[in-house]
Amino acid sequence: MNASLIPLAFVILIIVTTIGLGIYATRMSHTASDFFVAGRSVSVFWNASAISGEYLSAASFMGIAGLLMKNGYDALWYPVGYATGYLFLLLFIAGPLRRFGAYTIPDFAEGRFDSPAFRKIAVIFVLFIGFFYTMPQMKAAGVTMFTIMGWPYWVGIVVVGVVITFNVALGGMKGITFVQAFQYWAKVFAITAPVFILMSVYGGYNGSLGANLALPKGTPTLAESKTIQYKGATGAPANALAFSPAGVSRVTFPQGATLEKVSPARKPMAGEDPMPASAVGILLPPNPKESIPIGDPGIGGVIARLPVSADATPLTTTTHVRLPAGTTLIATPYIVTKAGQQVMKAGKPVKTAPKIEFLDPTPVLFPIGALVPNAPANRSWIQPFGTLTGKFGYPLLYTYSLIIALVCGTAGLPHILVRFYTNPDGRAAKRTTLWVMVLIGTFYLFPPIWGALGRAVVPALYANSTTDSVVIKLPMALSNKLLGQVLSGITAAGAFAAFMSTFSGLLVSMSGALAHDIYGRILRPNSSQQERLVAFKVAAVAFGAVSVGLGMLVESFDIAMMVSWAFAIAAASYFPLLLLGSWWRGLTKQGAATGMLAGGLLSLGAIVTSMLIDKKVVALDLSPLTRSLMEQPAIWGVPLALIVMYVVSKLTASHIPTDIHLKMLRLHAPEELGLSKNYIEH
Amino acid sequence: MRMSSKDIGQLSEQDHIRLANSIMRRQAGLSLRVAAIFLFLLLGLPLFNYLYPEAANTPVLGFTATWLMLGVLFFPVTWLLSAYFVKTSDRIEEDCMDWRSQLGREAGEPIEPQGVDDIKPAFISNEAEVKE
Repeated sequence: MNASLIPLAFVILIIVTTIGLGIYATRMSHTASDFFVAGRSVSVFWNASAISGEYLSAASFMGIAGLLMKNGYDALWYPVGYATGYLFLLLFIAGPLRRFGAYTIPDFAEGRFDSPAFRKIAVIFVLFIGFFYTMPQMKAAGVTMFTIMGWPYWVGIVVVGVVITFNVALGGMKGITFVQAFQYWAKVFAITAPVFILMSVYGGYNGSLGANLALPKGTPTLAESKTIQYKGATGAPANALAFSPAGVSRVTFPQGATLEKVSPARKPMAGEDPMPASAVGILLPPNPKESIPIGDPGIGGVIARLPVSADATPLTTTTHVRLPAGTTLIATPYIVTKAGQQVMKAGKPVKTAPKIEFLDPTPVLFPIGALVPNAPANRSWIQPFGTLTGKFGYPLLYTYSLIIALVCGTAGLPHILVRFYTNPDGRAAKRTTLWVMVLIGTFYLFPPIWGALGRAVVPALYANSTTDSVVIKLPMALSNKLLGQVLSGITAAGAFAAFMSTFSGLLVSMSGALAHDIYGRILRPNSSQQERLVAFKVAAVAFGAVSVGLGMLVESFDIAMMVSWAFAIAAASYFPLLLLGSWWRGLTKQGAATGMLAGGLLSLGAIVTSMLIDKKVVALDLSPLTRSLMEQPAIWGVPLALIVMYVVSKLTASHIPTDIHLKMLRLHAPEELGLSKNYIEH
Repeated sequence: MRMSSKDIGQLSEQDHIRLANSIMRRQAGLSLRVAAIFLFLLLGLPLFNYLYPEAANTPVLGFTATWLMLGVLFFPVTWLLSAYFVKTSDRIEEDCMDWRSQLGREAGEPIEPQGVDDIKPAFISNEAEVKE
């Protein structure tokens, strides 16, 4: 058997098991209520496993490992935020939400404010958050299938999207309760078992970190010469090759290259001098077959200087530099100057090196021992405020904004909150949350280990910005190829479990919102349960198709980064609604709606604009502070939503529901008192 | 009819206010206490990293001190906080099951014998004007 088919076999096994469990469970699903929320007969342990299984997405499984490998310490905030965000959910929301007897956030919105109109507004964000969250799942599917099978990015997305969409449309959520719980344990196995074997070969967690501590100025190097494929301009922002400032680099273009842009790796601050012409030169092949359209046409062996764009302005199409096959490029680091004076940081001169971007897909040959491009130096990798939070120059602000997004966002994710309804009562909901924290906290210890080992063992992934594939690539580096393929198969199956479970959950909550809230409550209030089920299935297929389409657009974004955006939108919309709705009697529907729209839509706008700038679709010259606040909007989005809710509620105080005190008792009093009622009567 | 013999479904809205106040005050107090400890740790660590980089980056067992705190020890700390919250919150709820004594405690005095229908619905007047 061909060893490279082993990972595929594991992936097929997990898909078949998932669908098989789904079909088995469908037979046990009878009424519509079962279909939507899996009844309310699930025990604390299984419900906690299912919530964890649904929550641990591709961002957790692949994205954190990749982002940690790329950025080091700063990326640790992701697993910590994802896991400990549940504490906020536990403290303020889990019990009350379950007691209120609403199964979706729109149910809560309507019941809490006696306002069917508010339901329509609340339902919008299920869709916004859902689509933002499905994009990274789709990317993970594409990357996994490309890595293990060599399929084009879009093929993996289509295959996975179709399989999961049909599973959801046919099985509903009852199936998914079993499947999600199973998938939690599959994911824990897949992230832990291989890493213990890898650590026995490559050294432990602390060992791979210690190497960075020992040589603070070091940068990863390639252990053997390697040809690495770069994406063209369409791959922006993942199409860049930023040379290491640690030393001179030489690379060869076996098939030639067309340079779209040559610029400093570190974006120049205002007033700094342009990159010196000596920073980047090319060594021509002995017998160039093509002429070079720059100053000196050159003779074999002569170094020519490349035209350099002083700042972020790309070379225009007419000045794209075409280098013939076999050309070698030499990049030399230089000290950044401002009006001739060295720019200092922490008592040391700031160094940077050239960065080149390609117009077309281009292979690049790196010699043995080459400094790996795009890799941060050991010190900035292992210390706080490195390349992730420091990228706009406001590291503390960025860190806090990220923390707020992750912690508050966890408490506002629609596909997770719907699961709390499957607890028998509010007390069980709290116990379940505690168990979820233990289950996912244990899981989240491991992805950073993958990232740290990846930096030590497969640094070539930095070169073309493919660190997101580290959990699959790392085992393949083992000298025992068979073992490597088996371990890689296990992690590939785990990655599949991750994006299948999260995508399923999102699809159910989005389709549920459409069938239950929009179709069942707004469009056709008199529709039968059968008709709503049909609406659910149609919606699932439609949303599945849209998600596949969106997934194809986001190949160049980090998986974990995209998920933090979904969290930022949830944090600025649903979290304030649930927090104030559960605890503040004075909240009115007008206040809640305006606050949610203001926080949620402005955050959404900021994030989409930020993505378009990264993609180079729009060119906006914004200050680094503005860019930072747009890329991580939670630090202003959450307070904004809360303040707007407070102020507008005060102004519309006459609209406080008349039975507000009874509602508060329903939210907070134990069920045994008999004050609760389930919003959806069976 | 004495209050203590009332069924829960017959409580007046005045009673709802008192009972809700009592339960929410105790639960909110607990939640805020635990949240304060959590936020102190969570938001304090970046500040510690920023102000004392030397201490934060001290090597400990091959990790840096701050890496060990954030990447390894932070999870069990939040488990302990959650376990404490769930335990204490359960105890508060058990107290609340005895809602008759809760109503008495909130009023600060023994409940007067009173007919259910005697209480007028103008009970939320302090907080907001209520539309009927």
